[in-house]
Amino acid sequence: MGRDAGGAANKINLIPQDFFAELCEQIIHHLNHKIPGVNTAELCQRIQTSGIEINIGDLAKIANILSFLFSTAARNNLSTEELVTTLGSAVSTLPKHALQVIRHVWNEQGKSITAAEDARNVATVGQFVDMKWKLGVAMSSDTCRSLKYPYVTVTLTVADPSGQITDKSFEMTIPQFKNFFRQFKEMASVLETV
Amino acid sequence: MAAPEPPPPEGSRPLSALLGGIAQAAFHGNAAVTDELLRGQLYPEAPPEEFRALRAKMGGLLQSIASADMDLNQLEAFLTAQTKKQGGITSDQAAVIAKFWKNHRTSIHESLINQSRWDNVLKNMNWRVDLKSQLRHIDQINTPVAIVEMEVGKNGQSAALLCHLRKHQMKGSKKHLKNCGPTWNRSFSVWSSMRPR
Repeated sequence: MGRDAGGAANKINLIPQDFFAELCEQIIHHLNHKIPGVNTAELCQRIQTSGIEINIGDLAKIANILSFLFSTAARNNLSTEELVTTLGSAVSTLPKHALQVIRHVWNEQGKSITAAEDARNVATVGQFVDMKWKLGVAMSSDTCRSLKYPYVTVTLTVADPSGQITDKSFEMTIPQFKNFFRQFKEMASVLETV
Repeated sequence: MAAPEPPPPEGSRPLSALLGGIAQAAFHGNAAVTDELLRGQLYPEAPPEEFRALRAKMGGLLQSIASADMDLNQLEAFLTAQTKKQGGITSDQAAVIAKFWKNHRTSIHESLINQSRWDNVLKNMNWRVDLKSQLRHIDQINTPVAIVEMEVGKNGQSAALLCHLRKHQMKGSKKHLKNCGPTWNRSFSVWSSMRPR
């Protein structure tokens, strides 16, 4: 924990206090099952827009470390001071504002986290967040002038077990999409009646 | 003055089979169907240059017909024009080509479509609904959860995508899907009106 935190702490230096606070809040809300995951991509884009050069991989690492820190602290029912002690030698390498945020967030919301037992049960299963679709027609191609092929592209937004939100896209023929659509409707009605 | 091309052997079966072989090579990606194989099997008596000319002509016609995905009217007009051309086809050959296209149009068009599908496709989908009965949060006991497994991939590779949906999420999705319906019907009817008869 200490070594990893040391490496990431260098990158934590880059994140302004308000963004860091937002990241911690999202992580707490994820651990609380209030949101399906942390939208690292979106947050990273906003941080980059404000002029900070941080890449999404580093932000994801930081999010994972903080998530691990908070969930361990919740599982062990740590007080704020105990939490700070857990950080060990990393405390001296963390920027002062980051430590302040961690203390504050834990003081305010630490007690509300149930340890993610629920998450462990569906450890290998992501959580569905959103689905978007579009209907397209491929008119022509290099091998066929009159292709006229209709297809549906679906984008699923899924939060993986660690809380990272990603999009997955795939294509379907019309009959496939009708079937796909019908299956979701069936699922919905089963969920209603169970 | 060059001699006119000799007529193909009697009977439509060799020509029909030749068209099948050309389609296999050109549209279905069957590399085993070579010109030599076709000549040996179907026109063993024909001199190589004659066979090459025939194969080239038939290949060209089939390519045009497939590329335009001709319907019966277009096909008839096209083949009639070919019979009237100098160095074109006979009406017997036209009949064989027409019959071949009627029988194989769908499968050839499908192959051409598949050649243009480069993105991930949904290969398979399964789902079940679980009833969670043991949870820390009291308010989540007896919450039904749908678990969906989707196999997504392209070419030979695929990956499984597993995700779960809670009841309250489905409410949102259900409304979303309900809205899908009318929008979908609208889009689909636009497509139907564009489709060739």
